[in-house]
Amino acid sequence: MSKFPDLPGIKNLDANPYEPELASFDDMDADADAGDGDAVAKTGTTTIGITTDDGVVIATDMRASLGGRFVSNKSVQKVEQIHPSAALTLVGSVGGAQSFIRTLRSESDLYEVRRGEPMSISALATLAGNFARGGPFFAINPILGGVDEEGSHVYSIDPAGGVMEDDYTVTGSGMQVAHGKLEDRYHDDLSMEEAEELAVEAVYAATERDTGSGNGVYVATVTGDGVDITGYDDFEGAR
Amino acid sequence: MQGQNQQQAYDRGITIFSPDGRLYQVEYAREAVKRGTASVGVRTADGVVLAADRHARSPLLERDSIEKIHKADDHVGIASAGHVADARQLIDLARRQAQVNHLRYDEEIGVESLTKEVTDYIQQYTQTGGARPFGVALLVGGIEDGEPRLFETDPSGTPYEWQAVAIGGDRDEIQTFLEEEYEEEMGLEAGLSLALRALGSVSDDGLDATGVDVATIDVESEQFTALSEDEIAERVTELELEGDDDE
Repeated sequence: MSKFPDLPGIKNLDANPYEPELASFDDMDADADAGDGDAVAKTGTTTIGITTDDGVVIATDMRASLGGRFVSNKSVQKVEQIHPSAALTLVGSVGGAQSFIRTLRSESDLYEVRRGEPMSISALATLAGNFARGGPFFAINPILGGVDEEGSHVYSIDPAGGVMEDDYTVTGSGMQVAHGKLEDRYHDDLSMEEAEELAVEAVYAATERDTGSGNGVYVATVTGDGVDITGYDDFEGAR
Repeated sequence: MQGQNQQQAYDRGITIFSPDGRLYQVEYAREAVKRGTASVGVRTADGVVLAADRHARSPLLERDSIEKIHKADDHVGIASAGHVADARQLIDLARRQAQVNHLRYDEEIGVESLTKEVTDYIQQYTQTGGARPFGVALLVGGIEDGEPRLFETDPSGTPYEWQAVAIGGDRDEIQTFLEEEYEEEMGLEAGLSLALRALGSVSDDGLDATGVDVATIDVESEQFTALSEDEIAERVTELELEGDDDE
């Protein structure tokens, strides 16, 4: 029962607070039903987020595959800016991830234009977790990396809406391989350049052994000044 | 309709402008606010003070049942003037929107954002057929990013930000008093005194501690704190605002 009168033209205050305000998930049902079918493009993927004192480095491979057994695209940009100083990786269902990014980007813009300041990264992570949990099943497992007044943050967001912050994190089918590199080389006073190098090395290791990852690397650097994304179709160029 | 009746017709519907561009129903709602007892807000360097006149018309009425100052969220208080029942609806809206912000972003809502949620809602009642505007004005005070903020809402749905402000009965007189006495650098205790003195300035037979409601939201704790009757009485006595009993 509605607590507030339901007059035409008056804002419905009983709307679900977990739902996005602008984007509708209705047209996503087909994708959700498609489940693990081989026809749905998956990113397979290795995506890495590392925090440093000066910002966040995100590196992703460039392969899209069908069932992890056929390479359907060799030049996918799997990291996108969604906020003045934050980026999100695409991991899992391509359609789910793209829709997720569009939604977060518009919510972030709406928040900033209304309130005159950008959303904090923890608010953005909470919102992302709410959408992942509340929408149809997106089949995604992205990393959110960003910088705000509190400093540098990376979060991994799981398909059920779990949100976990860490100093560095990896998601995607190549995560175990990449983690090996990071466990050996990560330390908490990496410079941005060292973090970039490490992230590229870890993606490279994963592309060598994980069939769902490969074909080059995209590197995003996030600082208080913004997000910078560069693609390299061979690892020599990135190193 | 002809002659005089034609003038009157413009106040029949909320969605109808008069030929000189006025919304009579909104102006009537402002009159309803003036019929309410006054509320005062003072923003100081280290917090916001809300004070309200809640004197009872009968000694038999339970004082606590007169609602003038409300907690909206831990860090925001709202004082009202005008129709109490209308105020209750808006305060519930503010409380819900504060919680929606917690749910969506896991953050406290800003005082400005919260005020605008409320005023946007009020505005819809000046443009929707079959509705009547809210006959109430609110003072929304709290802490945002460590800074004290104080806003007013009016029946048109316009938000205003103030250093010190009065709403309700005797608004103009109290506002003049505040304009003369307000100092930007004053602390919370000085702001509290100013708010009480401002309310007392329009009371012929002095201020009665049981007839005043006071709350603060300070920068230190960022918590809404209602003052007890004793705490108010202490200050009323100190400021010599009580009336002369033998008058």
